[in-house]
Amino acid sequence: MAQRAVWLISHEPGTPLCGTVRFSRRYPTVEKRAKVFNGTSYVPIPEDGPFLKALFFELRLLDDDKDFVESRDSCSHINKTSVYGLLVGGGELWPVVAFLKNNMIYACVPLVEQTLSPRPPLISISGISQSFELLFGIQDFLHLGQKNETELNTKLNQLPDLLLQACPFGTLLDANLQNSLDSINFASVTHPQKQPAWKVGTYKGKPQVSVSITEKVKSMQYDKQDIADTWQVVGAVTCKCDLEGIMPNVTISLSLPTNGSPLQDILVHPCVTSLDSAILTSSSIDAMDDSAFSGPYKFPFTPPLESFNLCYYTSQVPVPPILGFYQMKEEEIQVKITVNLKLHESVKNNFEFCEARIPFYNRGPVTHVEYKVSFGQLEVFRERSLLIWIIGQKFPKSMEISLSGTVTFGAKSHEKQPFDEICIGGTAYLKLHFKILDYTLTGCYADQHSVQVFASGKPKISTHRKLISSDYYIWNSKAPAPITYGSLLLSLSSWTLNGHSRKDEISRSSKKPEENQGNTGQV
Amino acid sequence: MGPPSRETWAQRLGAFRASPSAFMAGPEGEDLGRDLLSELRSEKLSEQTKVSLLALSLEYPAQLWPDAAAAEAAATSLLDTLVLLPPRPSALRRPLLLAATTALAAGDALGPTSGASRRLLPLLLGLASGRDLGRGFGPASEQRPLQATACECLRELESCKPGLLGGYLGLLRSLLGQEGPVQPLSLLLALALRNTLVIQARARAGLQGLLVAGDTPAAGGPWNWTLAEDGDAHLQPQAPSWPAAEEEACGLAVLEPSPEEARELRAAVAQLLDTSYLLTPVAQAQLLWLLGWALRGLRGQPPVLFKPQLVRLLGTAQLTLLHAVLALKAAFGEALFTAQDEALLLRRLTLAAQHPALPLPAHLFYLHCLLNFPENWPLGPTGEETAPLLLGPRLCRGLLPSLLHDPSALLAHLHLLCLFCAEDEEKEEKGQDWCPQHYLGELLAGLRQRAALHGGPRALATLCFQASYLVVHCLATQPTVLTPLTHGLAQLYRARPALAPHFVDLLDRVGPELGEPLRAALRQEVVSRPGRDEALRWHLQILSKVADGKAPSATLGFLRAAAAHCSDWGLQQALLQVCRALLRAGVAEGLADLLQALARQLEDPDGRDHARLYYILLAHLAGPKLGVALGPSLAAPALTSSLVAENQGFAAVLMVQEAPAPMQLSVGPRRAAGPVPVLQLQVEVLEPLYSVELRFRVEGQLYGPLGAVHVPCLLPGRPCRPLHLPLRPRRPAPAQLAVRALFATPAGLTCHAHLPPLLVNFADLFLPFPQAPDGDNQGFFEELWDSCLPEGAESRLWCPLGPQGLEALVARHLEPFVVVAQPPTSYHVAIRLPPASRLLLRLEAAQGDGVPVALRTDDWAVLPMAGDYLRGLSAAV
Repeated sequence: MAQRAVWLISHEPGTPLCGTVRFSRRYPTVEKRAKVFNGTSYVPIPEDGPFLKALFFELRLLDDDKDFVESRDSCSHINKTSVYGLLVGGGELWPVVAFLKNNMIYACVPLVEQTLSPRPPLISISGISQSFELLFGIQDFLHLGQKNETELNTKLNQLPDLLLQACPFGTLLDANLQNSLDSINFASVTHPQKQPAWKVGTYKGKPQVSVSITEKVKSMQYDKQDIADTWQVVGAVTCKCDLEGIMPNVTISLSLPTNGSPLQDILVHPCVTSLDSAILTSSSIDAMDDSAFSGPYKFPFTPPLESFNLCYYTSQVPVPPILGFYQMKEEEIQVKITVNLKLHESVKNNFEFCEARIPFYNRGPVTHVEYKVSFGQLEVFRERSLLIWIIGQKFPKSMEISLSGTVTFGAKSHEKQPFDEICIGGTAYLKLHFKILDYTLTGCYADQHSVQVFASGKPKISTHRKLISSDYYIWNSKAPAPITYGSLLLSLSSWTLNGHSRKDEISRSSKKPEENQGNTGQV
Repeated sequence: MGPPSRETWAQRLGAFRASPSAFMAGPEGEDLGRDLLSELRSEKLSEQTKVSLLALSLEYPAQLWPDAAAAEAAATSLLDTLVLLPPRPSALRRPLLLAATTALAAGDALGPTSGASRRLLPLLLGLASGRDLGRGFGPASEQRPLQATACECLRELESCKPGLLGGYLGLLRSLLGQEGPVQPLSLLLALALRNTLVIQARARAGLQGLLVAGDTPAAGGPWNWTLAEDGDAHLQPQAPSWPAAEEEACGLAVLEPSPEEARELRAAVAQLLDTSYLLTPVAQAQLLWLLGWALRGLRGQPPVLFKPQLVRLLGTAQLTLLHAVLALKAAFGEALFTAQDEALLLRRLTLAAQHPALPLPAHLFYLHCLLNFPENWPLGPTGEETAPLLLGPRLCRGLLPSLLHDPSALLAHLHLLCLFCAEDEEKEEKGQDWCPQHYLGELLAGLRQRAALHGGPRALATLCFQASYLVVHCLATQPTVLTPLTHGLAQLYRARPALAPHFVDLLDRVGPELGEPLRAALRQEVVSRPGRDEALRWHLQILSKVADGKAPSATLGFLRAAAAHCSDWGLQQALLQVCRALLRAGVAEGLADLLQALARQLEDPDGRDHARLYYILLAHLAGPKLGVALGPSLAAPALTSSLVAENQGFAAVLMVQEAPAPMQLSVGPRRAAGPVPVLQLQVEVLEPLYSVELRFRVEGQLYGPLGAVHVPCLLPGRPCRPLHLPLRPRRPAPAQLAVRALFATPAGLTCHAHLPPLLVNFADLFLPFPQAPDGDNQGFFEELWDSCLPEGAESRLWCPLGPQGLEALVARHLEPFVVVAQPPTSYHVAIRLPPASRLLLRLEAAQGDGVPVALRTDDWAVLPMAGDYLRGLSAAV
């Protein structure tokens, strides 16, 4: 398992080549083996220029996809993974692992230790997963704390030295490049025996452990009889353990309150030394029942030096934190919109921020808005055809707020207004953005007593929690909306919250939204 | 010119990296490798610059030192530089070791005869062992990193030359047990162990105590090349490590170690696995792949050693670790994974394939792993993507496609959905809440809606057609899926005719299940429109694909209407393409009128010419021939111009081709009857031939012109009645006939072949006289006999007889011409020789070995031929 070459290419639409190779590294000893292993199916690694061209063509990143090109657009040219075959120099270079992230294309070619014709399945190629880890590792390194082009360049300049440490001959030794950077700096330290390879030195200083739980809540709400709403919580527990000793042992227990929602689909960091089988088998695939394991979730581990994600989990909380409906009707050049949002009473009503973004795609610029909000303010971004309803830090006492209005659009000009392939006609959404500190939807927490450290000295322990929204959509209930299979299935089962229309549900609980003090305006 | 400075080197390296081939072809290319080596010892360059020079040599050794000798010299120079470094900390030692290793391994220079190899290998092993190598190898602080680097170098050399470290397994084990760096030593030992086992298994040798021997070669002492040189250990394509194929079949002969060896082996593997948690996740994964491979071919090595690691590994989200577990699953199957374990692994994989905390490329890879999951007891055919048996629809609810997915994600999830739809039909569990077909239909409709967006990106259209193709590929037998798909696609065409190239591509690639109804639907869609349409070129492109013999009047009506709007060359050609398709489909009625109209009406002369050509073809060629004439060009399809190719096709079909003779012609038994001599011809053919015409020509003016012989059909192996060729001699003389054959082949080509010439013998011209009118044969003969003279000639000659005697001779050769017979001694023979000669023979008083023959003829020129004939009779028997 080894890599033949790796590239980082920035995507620059509008430039002649549409991109620049920012970094590349070839491994000639691996190439030598590829030649022998692949036999007649061997295709050499091209130079950077031809590689960029072929990769951009395949990924549709060139500006010339106006015409039908059979080698790219044929219906039988089906790609179901991030692995591609590139036409270079009369042959097909395969497998090329590549993906685009933050305008950077990460690509490499793993060694396949057999003939390539017929193509072996990817699962049988040991280098494939290594390719992914290498590219993810580089991506994490570049992305970590990177703010601007200068910082990116600094990091790119460090890459040759880092890969000389982490991947000297094409066989990846450590996907954590930050670790390799530290190991260059730690090089003069004399290592005691049995030092883990993922921990290049030892910590000296005041012992402290920090645990933060970040939950993201996603939702798709439709306000329709036959389509169920869905929502899901995804949690990540991040730790930073500053502890002396080579291999200090730490156990962190995550706990739930009595009415908390069980954690499921738990994935742990490789430093976790053992796992309770209940943790391993608790999964969202199964129907939930009362017997579901509800913690405490114990994670014994030996921490690395750097901050790391101890575990990820998902959870199915009984209600979404904010339930809403969005109705939009088209009337010639205008649309009429009505939005209603209700914060669930169990949710902490103390936001760092909360806003609803209402975009209008495939239309002209906003020329006129008449609106009435029961709470908060509305901002209008005319050229971007976007309304932002700033709700602020708290919902009012009624926990329910509304917005209604009429939006008028000008003539459509393709360059400026946003295009969207999903929001066609009446299909439209609003997206909620919010953040609540010191709170988790599942109730999951870690406190002083949750952390056991088996090392010298009593560490200072700090814990943090936060809930943030992520992909929180409310779809126009007056038009078709994209659904997932889960929505169809849930609506058919008895386990549905959406037995009646959302509008009734919310209106019944609020007396007269119109009477609430609110802003009205014309923009 | 002084030595290049740091800046000039930076420029030079930059230029090289921009395009190595261009740089090497330029004026500076030749010296680069040499300069680089000498600059490494320059005291003027900084270490940082030297490191960048070494980095270049790590990537492009083949360009810098293109042959083994140059690579050897470079490695020697790099080693010299290393030894000459002052004993203070330096950033150069590590890259120098890497560069020397790369130069040797990539330059094919590694081997027992290479001086550099003899220096490098003991040096690396010494460093890896943590031995004090003395001056030149830096301060103590560098020992540890150099020890790790040496291990990496050795591992790379072992990878390129398997067996290189086979003699040092014991040493490596003991190092791992001591204080060596765990990860580099573990990986090195695991690789060396794997390679040794493979080599020994191929050589059908045991481990021979390799695991315990622990010699360190003395500095400068000989390296143990035994395993690397023997045992067929050269790098060769390995049998796939996946799935767990029969060991024999994949080249891993089953190795049976002795109990002692097995114990040692187990101890070594356990030692590696026990400390594996100290390795980085990617290194752990490598270790598992290597050990899994190593133990797979071994009898009596239960894989339970891996078991303690599995639970820990299954809990992580690390792609390499989960992949390594799948490799173990494939290698050991039920021996390591019980049915419950398999179910758990499958659930973890399913979970990982949709976990929101993981990136999309990982999801897609896990999805691929699901469809290629190494089941303990697979049911389906190997090599095809299927959903594992334990992966029920319930488990995969979260894995189904949605319009919100990226294209590759959508296709991957769609494939899974299709597999469930296929399974669902088999089980016929319908009417339940799980109705995947319905969901599939909705999804495809959504994709088509997006593809129909005017001005939308091509990627959306491509995705829609790829999804349709995938669905047809998986569900070709399900009308409940195909019917709405056909309708939907036709609607999509109505909404966005500019997608015509995608439709043509789809029709080219799907089978008749979708192809047939979709053709009909699209034809209907096009012809029901008025001919004047801005999308005319797309309509014509579609029609040329879908026009067939069905409902030609509607098609022709559309074309007539469209013709008026075909103003430019491209449109006219597209229109003619449709006509051509109709011609091929055998549509005649109405088409001739249209073509004639086009031949007058089209503005472009090329278009008019083509229309006229098609008209002529339609008017003059019968259906099958027309089909062939318009079919794919029989000429080499190397030319890109369709017109040239088309013309070549016509030329091939409409011209007579010279061909080798596909038949054999011979002269059959004589048939002496009738008014003229007739040659009976026998024909044998090697391949089916149609419309055969045989043409004959006589050398000289001996005979009148011969008519051609026609045969409608000749098939190999089927006897053909003799063909009759009437001869019209101007003189009674033998002759040679030149023969040519014209015929049509099954491919529709008309061919022409020269056959070997046919000989017409003198006897072939013989005809009998009619019966004497009054029955007085003797008198008739005498009358003929007398009439020959005085103009004619008379002769007597001796006709030798064979053992069978006169009677047999006459019966065999002269029977039809005998007028008076007194067997067995006397025969009077009268032969008519067209055009107007006669030959009369009296064979009388035969003796034992011959018969005297008196002959008369009215044509003296016949005499020598008659003589030859009679003398040759006995030999001809």
